[in-house]
Amino acid sequence: MFGQAILNDNLPGAKQHHWSPYTDNGGTIVAVAGDDFAIIASDTRLIQGYSILSREQTKLFKLSEQTVLGVSGCWCDVLTFTRTLEARMKMYLHEHLKPMSTPAVAQLVSTMLYHKRFFPYYVSNIVAGLDQDGKGTLYSYDPVGHCEKNRYRAGGAAGAMLQPLLDNQVGLKNMKGGVLPDITKEKALMVIKDSFISAAERDTSTGDGVIINIITKSGVEVMHFPLRKD
Amino acid sequence: MFLTRSEYDRGVNTFSPEGRLFQVEYAIEAIKLGSTAIGIQTSEGVVLAVEKRITSPLMEPTTIEKIVEIDKHIGCAVSGLMADSRTMVDRARVEAQNHWFTYDEKMSVESVAQAVSNLAIQFGDSDDDGNAMSRPFGVAILFAGIDEKGPQLFHMDPSGTYVQYDAKAIGSGSEGAQQSLQEAYNKSLTLKSAMKTALTILKQVMEEKLSSTNVEVAAVTPDQPFHMYSKEQVEEVIKEIA
Repeated sequence: MFGQAILNDNLPGAKQHHWSPYTDNGGTIVAVAGDDFAIIASDTRLIQGYSILSREQTKLFKLSEQTVLGVSGCWCDVLTFTRTLEARMKMYLHEHLKPMSTPAVAQLVSTMLYHKRFFPYYVSNIVAGLDQDGKGTLYSYDPVGHCEKNRYRAGGAAGAMLQPLLDNQVGLKNMKGGVLPDITKEKALMVIKDSFISAAERDTSTGDGVIINIITKSGVEVMHFPLRKD
Repeated sequence: MFLTRSEYDRGVNTFSPEGRLFQVEYAIEAIKLGSTAIGIQTSEGVVLAVEKRITSPLMEPTTIEKIVEIDKHIGCAVSGLMADSRTMVDRARVEAQNHWFTYDEKMSVESVAQAVSNLAIQFGDSDDDGNAMSRPFGVAILFAGIDEKGPQLFHMDPSGTYVQYDAKAIGSGSEGAQQSLQEAYNKSLTLKSAMKTALTILKQVMEEKLSSTNVEVAAVTPDQPFHMYSKEQVEEVIKEIA
């Protein structure tokens, strides 16, 4: 039949057209919120396939003195999303004469992502910071804007691999004992470093180095430490 | 004088040689025909009180609505062309909800005033979509609300200019009422005494005898967001000031 002939792509000269607008540039984000601080960290490797595009590309974006956004996924989407978000935050500042609070940023990220529900940004987002009461908070997202408020979160390429580690070490899940206290800054930093060292062992898209942002009421402190480069 | 006016008071987009927009000025004059509305800001909250003109005994007074809710934390009182005020109140409500939707926080009173003033100055923008008003809105609005800066009162006129006030009167009795407010106002006013002050002043400037049917009272406080006072509650305050 005529119809079948058209569908048969084995015919001489037949072409299959496909368009793939997304690429995965790898990278991992880990964040932990404490009582009066929030820590967010990303590795600094940027990949495409088996190639390394950069060994020193941070995936953390300081949005204000009390809010940092971590994004990984398709790098061009990361750039477009963060720039649009920064522009929206400046517009908010001028319109409402105050900087955006972390919860407000968190909601804006969700609405911005959902507005591209049918051609989403291919990104894994974590917003970390202090809320209006100075408490550490963090929010994680799926690419279409589903938002969850967390105490600790791993996202990006090795996110699924690291989350159980955080569940155990930060969430103290499935352990006997009383109420868990808020995690200390030192313990949080230690767990984050260990997480990235483990991720770099098993995930090829994570490595080279880690950038850590510690958000407290006195501002954002930046730390760096190396990872294996192979 | 008459000549200059007749030349330049037609188009809303034409400045007179002295640099005035007559249609806007006339719109501000139109407010002075409207019923009196008073807003007082205190440290405990903000009070709004308006007069309702009952022009016929056959009229149903409760259908005159001059104080309305914008969002849970903001209310407003209007004076002037009521039909125009519907459009502006509607915009204020839409903006407040949009803000909440996008940012998960209450819109500040000043931002609501700013959003409505954007609508107020869109008259004469007929070239783009044709949805704009062909003349200025004949409405003055008092926005009363509570945000992170505390209790706030804003006044906006048909030119879209908005200013924060401790106490403000609009409408036909506004001149006398504003003078009385200036004398009566002090920073340590309680909400209760502000309400009494507002009604006392309304009583002075109203042509009809003040009663619980021809005034509307509302307040916004930290514990009780926007709320209208019932007929009985208003009656009680009227008794106290008698």
